[in-house]
Amino acid sequence: MASVSVHQFAPCITCHAWSPDQSMIAFCPNNNEVHIYKMLEGKWEKIHVLHKHDQLVSGIDWSRRTDQIVTVSHDRNSYVWSLEASEWVPTLVILRLNRAALCVQWSPKENKFAVGSGAKTVCICYYEQENNWWVSKIIRKRHDSSVTSIAWHPNNILLATTSTDGKCRVFSTFIKGVDTKHSSSGSDSKFGEQIMQLDLSHSWTFGIRWSPSGNTLSYAGHDSMIYFVDDIGPSPSAQSLAFRDLPLRDVLFLSERMVIGVGYDCNPMVFAADERGLWSFLRFLDERKQTSNAKYGSQLSGTFGKLYGQSKSGSNEANESSRIRAHDNCITSVVPLKKTRDATVTTFTTAGLDGKVVTWDLQKQQDLMAYLQG
Amino acid sequence: MAEFVEADNAEAIFTRIEHKSSKIESLLKQYKPVEALKTALEGSPPVTKDERCKSANWIVVHRAIMAIKDIDSLFSALDLEYYDVLMKYLYRGLSTGDRPTCDQCLKIHEKLTERAGLGCILRCLADKVNTV
Repeated sequence: MASVSVHQFAPCITCHAWSPDQSMIAFCPNNNEVHIYKMLEGKWEKIHVLHKHDQLVSGIDWSRRTDQIVTVSHDRNSYVWSLEASEWVPTLVILRLNRAALCVQWSPKENKFAVGSGAKTVCICYYEQENNWWVSKIIRKRHDSSVTSIAWHPNNILLATTSTDGKCRVFSTFIKGVDTKHSSSGSDSKFGEQIMQLDLSHSWTFGIRWSPSGNTLSYAGHDSMIYFVDDIGPSPSAQSLAFRDLPLRDVLFLSERMVIGVGYDCNPMVFAADERGLWSFLRFLDERKQTSNAKYGSQLSGTFGKLYGQSKSGSNEANESSRIRAHDNCITSVVPLKKTRDATVTTFTTAGLDGKVVTWDLQKQQDLMAYLQG
Repeated sequence: MAEFVEADNAEAIFTRIEHKSSKIESLLKQYKPVEALKTALEGSPPVTKDERCKSANWIVVHRAIMAIKDIDSLFSALDLEYYDVLMKYLYRGLSTGDRPTCDQCLKIHEKLTERAGLGCILRCLADKVNTV
């Protein structure tokens, strides 16, 4: 099995993040709190509860270098939490939103963070030393609907977004005094300037990520499609890939040639690019030698069995296949764990509506290793 | 001006659909229902917002769908690229409420779902732009 550990933390998890040394996990158990657990003597113990938000916490990110946690919530606020003595102390970041904040991510250099919101805007927040204050600059009038996901390019300047208007966009987030000119990869774009807009999906888009090098973008459409975009800029080249199962909510690049997609199928999907750079669906991660046809058949007869009280064998089969799975509800997020020297990821965790956090390790998946190197 | 272009475009689409229709009739006479369905689905849905064009195309596709007798052989001959658009027309067929049409569409729907998966249904339901 590709899953190495499964732990039920809560009835439902909206988002989760790991501490820099990966000994602690912070997650929101579908309410206004953030719980931090630590592995103590082989058991997960709750060591902190961050209680400051008024409504559902929709995004958490834990910075690697500065050891700060940023949280955003449907209450339209964001807090940056720092550990002082043994207490997490919150600093309010006023986002100036009139709708819920939906997602948050630290930039690679961790001097900024971005917040996607239901107000059709993206906030870029940075710390002003003089005033001892977090400032939020807003990218307005670019999105026609809620921003569902954001992703930072490794150069700390470009930010990619997906939104419920079905588009994928890339912006410059250059902020004078925070970023230095030469870091912006040759382009002298101003703050908020749109580098690219793609209108590939006919439905909502979710879960955007850059490849480790920042050369490829990937995101998911709610119409069971996944998109791969190369040559980010004025003339991008994109591949749209339709797959036969339920839509994805989040994606993660493990290497330049391999992507994990998670979503409504409760089972991570592996997508890989061949030598020519053509992407295709490889297989489900949580699967014993079972073809997707057979799996589908059993699911269908299971459903009909429940509906009509017939086809008993079919429904048993379906129950059995759900029991061996790591997740039994929609997976909403996937987070990388360990990175190897060349920035490829072999361990990652998934969490979702079933409240489980599942750790996956690809080291023993022989058929996938070829896509991880190279 | 834009309206004029749209009308002009609609005329061109109608001509194409009429042409398709006669081709389908001759294929059906030669007992090639799968070829007829492929012909009907080609160029579908028409790139227009004009409902009359969509209805005209639906009549053609409907004719081809109803002529299918052996559904298993249909799928051994029908390529993957037709699956998504066929699913859309099956839902249009089901929305008519007409008994024989619904029967036929449900039969094909079952086999198509087996082959194309739930993703195909999702793409059909989620697409508000390229409606048939």
